[in-house]
Amino acid sequence: MSGRRGLSDQTPTALLMAAPALLGLLLFLLLPFVLALAFAFTNLRLGSPLPLEFVGFKQFLRIFSDPGFLQALANNLLFAAVVVPLQTALALGLALLLDQGLRGTLVYRTVFFMPVVFPMSLVAVIWLLIYAPGPAGMMNQLLDLLSLGHWQPRDFLRDPALALPAIMLLSIWQGAGFQMVILLAGLQAIPLELHEAAALDGAGRWQRFLHVTLPQLRNPLIFVMLVTTILAFRLFDQVQIMTRGGPDNATTTMMFEMVQAVFTRQQVARASAMTVIFFLLVLLVTLVQRRLARQEGYRP
Amino acid sequence: MAIRMLSGPGRPASPAIRALALSLLMTGLCVLGGCSDTADSTDPVLEIWAHAGQARERQTLESQVARFNRSNADLQARLTLIPEGSYNAQVQAAAVAGELPDLLEFDGPFLYAYVWQGRLRPLDDLLPRRLIDDLLPSILQQGRYRERLWSVGTFDSGLGLYADRSRLQAAGIRIPTLEQPWQRDEFTTILDRLAEDDADGQVLDLKLNYAGEWYTYAFSPLLQSAGGDLIDRRTYAHATGVLNGTDSVAALSDVQQWIESGRVDPNIDDAAFTTGRTALAFGGHWNYPRYHQQLGDDLLLLPLPDVGHGSRTGQGSWSWAVTADSAHPEAAARFLAYLLRPREVLAMSEANGAVPATRSAIARSPNYREGGALRLFVEQLESGHAVPRPRTPAYPVITAEFQKAFERIRSGSGVQATLDQAARVIDNEIVDNRGYPWLFSGKSEP
Repeated sequence: MSGRRGLSDQTPTALLMAAPALLGLLLFLLLPFVLALAFAFTNLRLGSPLPLEFVGFKQFLRIFSDPGFLQALANNLLFAAVVVPLQTALALGLALLLDQGLRGTLVYRTVFFMPVVFPMSLVAVIWLLIYAPGPAGMMNQLLDLLSLGHWQPRDFLRDPALALPAIMLLSIWQGAGFQMVILLAGLQAIPLELHEAAALDGAGRWQRFLHVTLPQLRNPLIFVMLVTTILAFRLFDQVQIMTRGGPDNATTTMMFEMVQAVFTRQQVARASAMTVIFFLLVLLVTLVQRRLARQEGYRP
Repeated sequence: MAIRMLSGPGRPASPAIRALALSLLMTGLCVLGGCSDTADSTDPVLEIWAHAGQARERQTLESQVARFNRSNADLQARLTLIPEGSYNAQVQAAAVAGELPDLLEFDGPFLYAYVWQGRLRPLDDLLPRRLIDDLLPSILQQGRYRERLWSVGTFDSGLGLYADRSRLQAAGIRIPTLEQPWQRDEFTTILDRLAEDDADGQVLDLKLNYAGEWYTYAFSPLLQSAGGDLIDRRTYAHATGVLNGTDSVAALSDVQQWIESGRVDPNIDDAAFTTGRTALAFGGHWNYPRYHQQLGDDLLLLPLPDVGHGSRTGQGSWSWAVTADSAHPEAAARFLAYLLRPREVLAMSEANGAVPATRSAIARSPNYREGGALRLFVEQLESGHAVPRPRTPAYPVITAEFQKAFERIRSGSGVQATLDQAARVIDNEIVDNRGYPWLFSGKSEP
């Protein structure tokens, strides 16, 4: 089929046109990944005067027998399992509220979206102040007020049971606005006729939500959940700034373990092996998710 | 519109060539941009990197550099301050890129890794003999590796037990000295006796809120007092059998016992001692100004308890070294010698409260001279009670693992199993680096 005239004329041009972009992809995506894959089988260390050696699967075996990394993996999975549904539900709720056409919608939309505009590092520093330990901490004060004085001040970020939930809370707060905007756009694209028809058929508010809104929002919802899952696996900024993986690995993540390995212990090979595992895992999650919820109206 | 035009059939290839040329041009610009960074290497400038530290410390160093520059017309010292949080990571990256300055500051126990990597130049032939002789033995201990002196600090640190004199007297507790410190069982009894008159029974502040390097700095002396250690100091080849040996396990079990019996204040607000919640507090020289302001003459500075082989304590702080590739090692040493003048050592000690590094400065320091309020710190450093952190390139891993282990032990994990795990990781690291063989024999080995 490639022998058709006209097409064959354009192929070199197309390749040439795409060259800068392809070169970029090659240099900044493919090459680093191939290098990481290669390093993962060596003993490479930053700054080490020892010669480079091939060590086979040793790095991978070490990683999978390291309780720290396994804890990081578990934390990532737990984080995704809690944050993805909660954050999506919250975003959907906010989007539905804003879609009611009430007064001040614009103001609320801006307010809800604002956290997304702030860099995560800034958000983390602000929440560090919110979670300040002792009775003067903002969160402690709030809980004291809500519990009518029954709350004992806690050190959220140093409490093994509360540290990860504390990070989850701020992540949801920061990320929900972005998903809300996407879902809002999806909501506004649903033809009014569908709702009218359903109403004529006697469907109530809840039934219309269940049988009109949700199916119509299918694609945006899948997109939102996929992106949130990937972001959940990439959890790093909050951990680095607020807890440094502590207490006792309660908030460590795969990304944090990688950065620790390469920047505090100079173990480039080990970090590379972690990157490879991380990549395969995210790929797997993405494939499974796509399989479970195939997007409709998508023709490759 | 434009896209359709370009992709039309039979178009001449010129737009594509233009695109290619553009991308080549961009690459070329990058290369040129990269080159222009290193164009001014001929200037007689002394590059200095230091950690940003607290405001007063920073300002003192900045004014020291300015004073040095005013009195040395032929030489220009240029100071770059790097945030403390990621200091070591940034220096390591710069070292790999071959962009280290002439004079480099780093946290003392990281010295041995830098030396092993061949990044530094020995100091013993650069600094005047009388200057080296004037330094505290602890500074020399920390700065020596493989029989050469590689780094010197302008100050050292002090670790001790702060106490409220009136509460000790009220409970009828004897005041210990460096020669007769509290013994292990005595200390437990003291905690119990103090707890009787305490509202919540928490009478000891271990600064558990500090975390990080504090754990290694403050609690490895207890291991050493018990006869244990972080690593085998004779061979530096393994931690197994030492870090997880009976003595180390006993020492950390004691600490765990203090915590579990409710004697230790978690110090969440960093004010356990100043608000009077505890009568005793582990602490460093940096705690003194605030404690003294609060307790006045009731403030006592005591040695850490002796849990078997005499009282042991920590030492070491930031120190300076000349880099191996420096084009101006003599100039760097001249600046270092300037920082070590009594006047400059005292200025820094006043700014950060640390122990002056030279005996001549100590003699003129109100807090540290004979009879001074913090004299104990000097005595500990001079008499061998202070133990340097392990002098091995494996130190970064040793301290990281010990910190993790302490964190776990503190929250109730089994001491033996936790230390077994830490010792295993440390041993792995040493084996992975083949025991840190010396690879620079031609360059700087004596």
